[in-house]
Amino acid sequence: MTTINRRSLLLAATTVPALSLAACGRDTGGAATNLIAIITPSHDNPFFKAEADAAAARASLLGYEVLSNSHDDDAYKQSQLIDVAVSRKAKAIILDNAGADATVASVRKAKDAGVPTFLIDREMNATGVAVSQIVADNFQGATLGADEFAQLMGEAGNYVELVGKESDSNAAIRSQAYDDVLSQYPDLVRVARQSANWSQTEAFQLTETLLQANGDLKGVICGNDTMAMGALAALKAAGRNEVIVVGFDGSPDAVSSVRNGELGATVLQPAALIAEMAVEQAHKFITEGETGLPEKQAVPCELVTAENAGQFGIFARIK
Amino acid sequence: MKTQQLDIGTVLLRFRAIIALLLLVVIFAALSPEFLTSSNLTILIKHVAINAILAVGMTFVILTAGIDLSVGSIAGVTGIIAGLLIHQGIILEPLGIIVFLDAWVVVVISLIAAVLFGALNGLLIAKFRVPPFVATLGTLYVARGAALLLSNGATFPNLEGKAALGNQGFQIIGGSSLLGLPMPIWIMALVALIAWVVADKTPFGRRVYAVGSNERAAKLAGVKVGAVQMKVYLISGFCAGIVGLIIASQLGAAHPATGETFELNAIAAVVLGGASLMGGRGHIVGTLIGAMVIGVLANGLVLLGVSEFWQMVIKGAVIVGAVMVDQASSGRNE
Repeated sequence: MTTINRRSLLLAATTVPALSLAACGRDTGGAATNLIAIITPSHDNPFFKAEADAAAARASLLGYEVLSNSHDDDAYKQSQLIDVAVSRKAKAIILDNAGADATVASVRKAKDAGVPTFLIDREMNATGVAVSQIVADNFQGATLGADEFAQLMGEAGNYVELVGKESDSNAAIRSQAYDDVLSQYPDLVRVARQSANWSQTEAFQLTETLLQANGDLKGVICGNDTMAMGALAALKAAGRNEVIVVGFDGSPDAVSSVRNGELGATVLQPAALIAEMAVEQAHKFITEGETGLPEKQAVPCELVTAENAGQFGIFARIK
Repeated sequence: MKTQQLDIGTVLLRFRAIIALLLLVVIFAALSPEFLTSSNLTILIKHVAINAILAVGMTFVILTAGIDLSVGSIAGVTGIIAGLLIHQGIILEPLGIIVFLDAWVVVVISLIAAVLFGALNGLLIAKFRVPPFVATLGTLYVARGAALLLSNGATFPNLEGKAALGNQGFQIIGGSSLLGLPMPIWIMALVALIAWVVADKTPFGRRVYAVGSNERAAKLAGVKVGAVQMKVYLISGFCAGIVGLIIASQLGAAHPATGETFELNAIAAVVLGGASLMGGRGHIVGTLIGAMVIGVLANGLVLLGVSEFWQMVIKGAVIVGAVMVDQASSGRNE
C-alpha cells in the first residue's frame, strides 16, 4: 500500500509542472515571446563585444527581450545555443558564426523550426538558409589599408606582413588584398610574411626577431590591430619609431594610437553598424515577413588616419 | 679514473637536450647569417625568458608528479590586474576619488594575486585531494574568466603611467636594459639561480624530489607531503605572475587573452629538459636548456621564413623526438 501511495505522489509531482508548462505554452503560443537571441564569438575581443552590445541595444530599443551568448568559436557550442534560442521560441537569431561550413546545419535547423537567422560579420557557405548575411567588406577595407600603407611608405622600401590565424578566411582575404595592391609597386619589397595568430604577444616577438634579419625594415602591415599594436610596441622598444605600421579593425586602442601619430593607419570595420542593421532587418522580417533586401550585403569599411581618427568611437563613427 | 668518466657521462646524459640545442644552433647558424649575431641572440634569450620562467615554476610542480595547467591564465590575469591598477586606478566611489598607486606597489599587489591563484591550486590538491590536472584545469578557466571580467574583454593601454599621477616606471620590468641586456633576461637568470639553489641545495628541494619519487615513502619518512605540494604551486603561481608582468610591461598594454596555451610550452620545456611527468626526475638546468630549444626553433625558423604551419609540425617533432631519445637512453642506463 505504501509503495502505491508513494508512486501516486510521485505521479502527482510530475504532472503538476507538466501542466503548468503546457499552460505557459498556451499563453505564449499566440503573442509568443518577444525574444531576440544574439550569438557571437567570445567577448574577450572588444570587436565582438561591440557588435553584441550594439545589437542588444538596438533590439531593446525596438522592444525586444535579449538573450546574448558567446559560442567561443566552437561550432558545437553554437549549435547548442541555437537549440536554446529555438526552444525559447526566439523571434530571430543574430549570429556571428563559428565556421562557414559548420554553421549551415544549425541555421537550417532553426529555420525549419520557424526561427529566422541573420548573420553578421562572417558569411557562411550556403544561401537561402539565413535571411540576411551582412558582413564588412574585408577585401575593400584591406585594399584601403594597403593603399594608405603604400603612400605612407613613399611607394618604396622593405616591409613585412603579419598575417592573422591562417585558418580564418578573413586573414586570407585581407592578406590577398594587401598583396594585390602592394605587388603593383615595384619598389615595395615584402621581405617576410609570418602569422602572429591575431596575438599581440606573438606579434611583438615576431617583430623583434624579424628586425634582426631585416635591419632596413621600413614598414609592417598587419591583418588586425592587436598584432599591429604588438608590432608597434616592439618597434618602440627597439627605438625604431620611424617604421610605419598599419592595422585593421579599428579597435579603440588602435584608433587612439593613430590619433597620437604612432600607428600609421587602420581600417575600421563598422561592427556596431552591421549589428544594428541586422536587428533592424530582423524587426522588419518579423513584422512584415520580408526584409526587402538581398541576402548577402557587404558594408564598406572606412580608413582611419591621423586626420580623421577623432571621428571614430567604438567600432563606429561617432554620431 | 672510472668515476671521473662516469661523471662526464652522467652530466651529458643528464642534460641530453643540450645535444638537440647544439644541433639546432649549428643548423640555423649555417642557414642564416643573422642567427649568431649578438643582437639576435639577445632577442632570442629575451623571448626564451618568458617560457623559461614559467617552466622553472613548472619544474617544481612536475618534480612532485603534479602538473600546472593554469600558468598561462595566471600570467594573463596578473597582467590585467597590473593594467587595471595603472590605467584605471582604484575607484573609491563613496569618497569620489581615484587612487593611483606607485608602479612598485602595483607589481607587489599583482604578484600577490598570482600567488593566491597558486594557493588555490595548492589548496585544492593538497587539502581536497583534487587531482592536479583537474584542479589546475579549473583554475585555468577561473583565472582567465577573472581577467576577462576585470577588463570587460578590453585591453588596458598606455601602461607607461603618467608623471602627473606618479605611477610611472612599470615598463622597467620588461622594457628596460641593464648592462646591455634586456631586463627579462636578468629576471630569468635570478629566478633560475634561486630555483636551482632551492631545488638542489635545500632540504625543501630534497623533499620535492622525495614526494615525486615515492609519495608514500616520503610520508613515512616524515615529509609533510601536503605542505610540499602547496609550496610548489605557490612557486609556479609566482613565476606565472612574473611572466604576466613582463609581458604587460613589454607591450605597454594588458590584454585579457595573454598567455593562452603558454602552459603547453612550459610543460614542453620541462619535459625536453629531461624531467619525468611521473615525478622525481628533472632539473632546473635541464628545463632552461629545454626552453632554449623551443626558443631557438621559433627564432631560427622565423629568420628562415618558414611558414607557421611547418613551424608547428617541426616543433612537435622535435619535442617528441628529443623525449624518445631520452627514454631510449635512460632505459639503457637503468
